[in-house]
Amino acid sequence: MTERTDHDLGEQFHALRREDAAAAPPFYATLAAARAWHATAPRRRVLGLAAAAILVAGVAVALLLARRDRRGVPIDLAAVRWKAPTDFLLALPGEELLRTVPKLVTIDSDWRTP
Amino acid sequence: MSPEALERELDQLHAAAFGWALACCGGDRAAAEDALQASYLKVLDGRARFDGRASFRTWLFAVVRNTAAELRRRAALRRLLPLAVLGATPDGQPDPATVLARADGTRRLAAALATLPRRQREVLHLVFYQDLTIAEAAEVAGVSLGTARTHYERGKAALRKLLKAEPE
Repeated sequence: MTERTDHDLGEQFHALRREDAAAAPPFYATLAAARAWHATAPRRRVLGLAAAAILVAGVAVALLLARRDRRGVPIDLAAVRWKAPTDFLLALPGEELLRTVPKLVTIDSDWRTP
Repeated sequence: MSPEALERELDQLHAAAFGWALACCGGDRAAAEDALQASYLKVLDGRARFDGRASFRTWLFAVVRNTAAELRRRAALRRLLPLAVLGATPDGQPDPATVLARADGTRRLAAALATLPRRQREVLHLVFYQDLTIAEAAEVAGVSLGTARTHYERGKAALRKLLKAEPE
């Protein structure tokens, strides 16, 4: 697929290929290593799961401790009541009228009859 | 295909597959060997099954490429999580021994290739190093023929520029 003008590039890649081929591990050694690796896979999986479980447990304990610490601090609401210095601006004139129910005057006699 | 026949095919393609694994792992020899071992296991225990739609070489290269990507993702996850104690984590960098063992010309080529985007590097490797056609390279890389051709042309131009810029 390469063009004639790409011959130089092809040559360089082939030199790379020759070097890699010379340094390649033998096929049967690779296969044996793969099988040995496969044989220890369950142990590695268990180790991985154990590490993940320890990590999750650690995070859970840290979260629990953090929550407990936060819950343990007593808060005295009376002591921390805060009043803004501009509160007086909210006090309206005649405000007491709004807080009470107006009382209607009752008339005992019928005003239509003398 | 029987296990014996599979082993024979793998043996014949071993050197080429190792070169391809090296290319998929950015020249990191340890990572390439891991990827190759995992690929052979997948092939031999039937997790990767050859269905005869492509040539065995194209199919094997696709398996190696996917396995290398899988191992790369796992290594990245290990680097994020404090699980590196469970084993050495490949860093995807060419190891110094491999770099030193190369001749000047091939070292320059490998260094220039390392600066190219992954897809361009893969297509150039498959075409020039493995002598595949662009269509076969597209099949291995899992892209369309048009995309592979674009990667090939752009990669070739970039590689020529890089090699020209490099002092002899």
